[in-house]
Amino acid sequence: MTETVESSQTPVLAEDEKNPVARLLGMLWRDKFALCAALFILLMVLCAVFGPLLLGDAASHQNLRGRNAPPFSWSNGWLFILGADALGRPLLARIVVAAQNTMMVASGAVACSMIIGTALGMIAGYASRRVGEAIMRLADVIMSFPSLLLAVIVLYVFAPSVGNLIVVLAITRIPVYLRTSRAEVLEVRERMFVQAAQVMGASTGRIVFCHILPVIMPTIVTIATLDFAFVMLAESSLSFLGIGIQSPEITWGLMVSQGRSYLVHAWWLSFWPGLAIILTTLSLNLLSNWLRIALDPVQRWRLEIGGKSND
Amino acid sequence: MKGKLLLAGAMCVAMYAMPAYAKDSKDVTIVLSENVDMLDPCMSTRSNIGRVILENISETLTELDVRGDKGVMPRLAKSWEEVNDTTWRFHLREGVKFSDGSAFDAQDVKHSFERTFSDKNSCEVSRYFGGIKVTPKIIDEHTIDFTTDPAQPILPLMMSLLTIVPSDTPMEFTRNPVGTGPYKLTEWKPGQQIVLTRRDDYWGKKPAVEQATYVSREDSTVRAAMVAKGEADIAPLIAMQDATDPKMDIAYPNSETFYLRIDNAMAPLNDKRVREALNLAVDRDAFIGTLLPKGVQKATAIVPPTTLGWNPDIKVPAYDPDKAKKLLAEAKADGVPVDTQITLVGRTDNFPNVTEVLEALRAMYEDVGLNVKLKMYEVAEFENNYSKPYPENRGPQLVAAQHDNGRGDPVFSMYFKYDSKGRQSGISDPHVDDLIARATAATGDERKKLWSELFAYLHDDVVADVLLFHMVGFARVNPRIDFTPTIATNSQLQLSEIGFK
Amino acid sequence: MSRLFRQRAVTSLFSLLGLIVLVFFLSRLTGDPTSLFLPIDATDAMRENFRELHGLNDPLLLQFWHYIVDLTHLDFGESIRKARPAIDVVIEAFGWTFQLAIMTMALVAFCAIVLGSIAAFRVGGKFDRLVSLVSLIGASAPDFWIAIVAIVIFSINIGWLPTSGTGSIAHWILPIAVLFIRPFGLILQVVRGSMISALGSAYVKTAKAKGVKNTPIIFVHTLRNAMLPVITVMGDQAAALLNGAVVVETIFGFPGVGKLMIDSILQRDFNVILAAIMVTALAIFIMNLLIDVAYLFLDPRIRY
Repeated sequence: MTETVESSQTPVLAEDEKNPVARLLGMLWRDKFALCAALFILLMVLCAVFGPLLLGDAASHQNLRGRNAPPFSWSNGWLFILGADALGRPLLARIVVAAQNTMMVASGAVACSMIIGTALGMIAGYASRRVGEAIMRLADVIMSFPSLLLAVIVLYVFAPSVGNLIVVLAITRIPVYLRTSRAEVLEVRERMFVQAAQVMGASTGRIVFCHILPVIMPTIVTIATLDFAFVMLAESSLSFLGIGIQSPEITWGLMVSQGRSYLVHAWWLSFWPGLAIILTTLSLNLLSNWLRIALDPVQRWRLEIGGKSND
Repeated sequence: MKGKLLLAGAMCVAMYAMPAYAKDSKDVTIVLSENVDMLDPCMSTRSNIGRVILENISETLTELDVRGDKGVMPRLAKSWEEVNDTTWRFHLREGVKFSDGSAFDAQDVKHSFERTFSDKNSCEVSRYFGGIKVTPKIIDEHTIDFTTDPAQPILPLMMSLLTIVPSDTPMEFTRNPVGTGPYKLTEWKPGQQIVLTRRDDYWGKKPAVEQATYVSREDSTVRAAMVAKGEADIAPLIAMQDATDPKMDIAYPNSETFYLRIDNAMAPLNDKRVREALNLAVDRDAFIGTLLPKGVQKATAIVPPTTLGWNPDIKVPAYDPDKAKKLLAEAKADGVPVDTQITLVGRTDNFPNVTEVLEALRAMYEDVGLNVKLKMYEVAEFENNYSKPYPENRGPQLVAAQHDNGRGDPVFSMYFKYDSKGRQSGISDPHVDDLIARATAATGDERKKLWSELFAYLHDDVVADVLLFHMVGFARVNPRIDFTPTIATNSQLQLSEIGFK
Repeated sequence: MSRLFRQRAVTSLFSLLGLIVLVFFLSRLTGDPTSLFLPIDATDAMRENFRELHGLNDPLLLQFWHYIVDLTHLDFGESIRKARPAIDVVIEAFGWTFQLAIMTMALVAFCAIVLGSIAAFRVGGKFDRLVSLVSLIGASAPDFWIAIVAIVIFSINIGWLPTSGTGSIAHWILPIAVLFIRPFGLILQVVRGSMISALGSAYVKTAKAKGVKNTPIIFVHTLRNAMLPVITVMGDQAAALLNGAVVVETIFGFPGVGKLMIDSILQRDFNVILAAIMVTALAIFIMNLLIDVAYLFLDPRIRY
């Protein structure tokens, strides 16, 4: 990603007149893997937004006598196609409803850590050496602070809620963005166009936001997509250890960890939410791979000719 | 993929490296659910420590018969008698040796007792002697007197909790337990395993098991799999959903009672009709055989039916949501704020399925029109809500908890759970306080009668709490082993009770 | 070299001090170990005695002062839970974690570099797509889920491996295999990406233009240049492993530092938490130094 921008402009000049969004969609259409991933993510976002409204009641209606109903049976209605959980609640409805909390935790944590981390990183990279050092040491402290202890502290002193979980996960991910953006800024600030802007008397704010930020953004966005997956897995691990979200709130991670004790006899309890996590993280990973190439002017041609050729 | 190939190759090597289990071995492996952090004999009332130490390494003066109906039986004491109202005399067994070679005498008993109350450690056993002043006095080498203030009618039963250590044991916690029991500690790799080996110079009958290895795994599925595979012989505790093989899995009452403590001081829970409604709204039968195992018993007291004074006349509240709604409506008409949000507080991992059980309870309460919110806490925060001083601004609370009393007498429960000053009491009732004080001091039939009266008063007149179930646990036992778990398996596991088929 | 070491040591010491202060005070915010250690029906006298015994009654600042003074004598305090020196407990557990981390990382490095390079040679080919997809799926699944499924399949159904615990070589296979999956997926992607850009760089093109046909030579030279980012990511992953693999250790009954950490946190065994943080921080510090040394060898242009 740190290839020089100037030299790579030539092969894509002709395309630049097109609407960038349409161009991006065109590239997406050509990579079928990425397309499927994008559609799946879209579906999950729809679930997260409308799921609790549509299926909220069905997802919490208990039926102790129909507990652990097996999947692929139409006798109880389409909601039970994936089976029922230990309280006889339809798994399909619960997965759809849980999408909201899961997405909220993941996107909240990623957004917070990305904004704070990138901002701190840019300060560390652009401000004086001493300020930079101080910020980097702060990052070191956060990195070596045990995240489980942090989770217990926040969840104990406050309460286990979606908001607090976001805080915990966001804090632990800040150093990733901080270190990356600082490294990028250190490199970018030495480039010709930044120095030119400095000479021309542009303000620091203008240089940082108009010249440096756009250059480092692709890297940050790629990391964020990967991190989204990471945060979802971290949330489920916290649930497994009993210090994550607590019932009756639901997330996919919590569903997997609650279903794990039935794994041998009623595999579907933890399989479906686990599959939801896998498919979502997989889609995000595929999308992030695609994005990395799509946002990189040097590599972009691979997508525009169909992505099948090699060097 | 190469990684997979490598792995497969390693597996082939591994198959040869695996230990072979001889069919006729007299060694057993026991897989516990919790890691054993310490092995001090005075901590043996803690269940994971007790399963290793109690009556295996360290013995007690008396022992409670949990298999038959013989009550308190002799162990290191041959016999005992009441010298006067406040003094008990114990005659000790002679010719008993500790595993370090020293002889057992009255001095050891006195030291063990004093060590338990020393301020240089935090021994657990001392809690049972709270508020009682006990003075041991050596009469001769094998006779010792205990003088108590106030009178302590069940002192012989309480002696079944006091583990005896040699008189040269330091007051601080020790990591090298020495006792008179049939086994001695021969290896302890923290976090990995503990090994006990049979002693040849044990005073009593020689047990069948030669060596016992204790390991711990937190996941129930793993524990069950270990026994099924022959990696372990006994898993004293597995979850209901893993207990699928009737040839290996045995249910036993685990002496835990599951109940909801009602905070009687808070509106709307301070209204008796609301508390009755809380009892009537629960469909207890719906839990049995679904979320909870078939063997659980509906509870009418906080102690199991094997306890002294348990009252068979108390009836389990019937499931009657309509009556519950009616009671709530009546209360509402009288100005009781029944719509206030009530918090149902639970503890994560309290027992298998606890979250599901509490979610189902919450749904049942919502069905009769109560506004109930479920909150699950990890153990430390749960403690804050469970034990006094209760948090300020807590609002009306139902605390879902388990209480363990397999010791045969309600005295170990009632003060804590129901006295106005009890640490976990949700009520404040002078008549209850009076009954507890009288029963604690009484003996024989009088004691039994007073406890019975107290149980009935609490359940029918005060409606102090929502008593739900006497729980069962599941043990998985390898078919080559002859072992039947009992109500005591929750706190101890005597290797001498294990045989081979 | 020695300047690098000194500079690193000073800055790391500052971070460590900050960390100790933070952990010391924040962990004490989460409550008192008394009610967790003692039984629920303990008497008030027992509680008072316990607090006195472990110095929990002293003002917080005084407790901190005592801790720091002891620390200068290399006394890390006593584990409340285990009634033995906290540092002994931690070092014992760290030994296990260390072995697990080393073996896992060695395996990951080997597999990821070999498979990632092969994939990079044929970008977009069948092998490339397959390896990427498999590694991504593996890296996307919750680890406790994989662990339990692996036990069910390999130990219960097939019966090849012991379910859990320690003892023989066979006991190491499942934990390592489960730990392997996530870093493998990640590092494979990094190797692949950095190999692709290295293969496209000027010197390879020059070599090809000059007519160098020998693929192994190109391969080795490219690999060496592509290793820098790979080593950075591997360092991060190894650091995560050295901090303990809580979930895997919990399920497989592996007495490592991650398991010790979560137990100590839940039991509020403060001295063990602090000792564990210091030991792992030291290990990670040493590892980072080694990585810097590796940079020096790989890229002679780097100077410290």
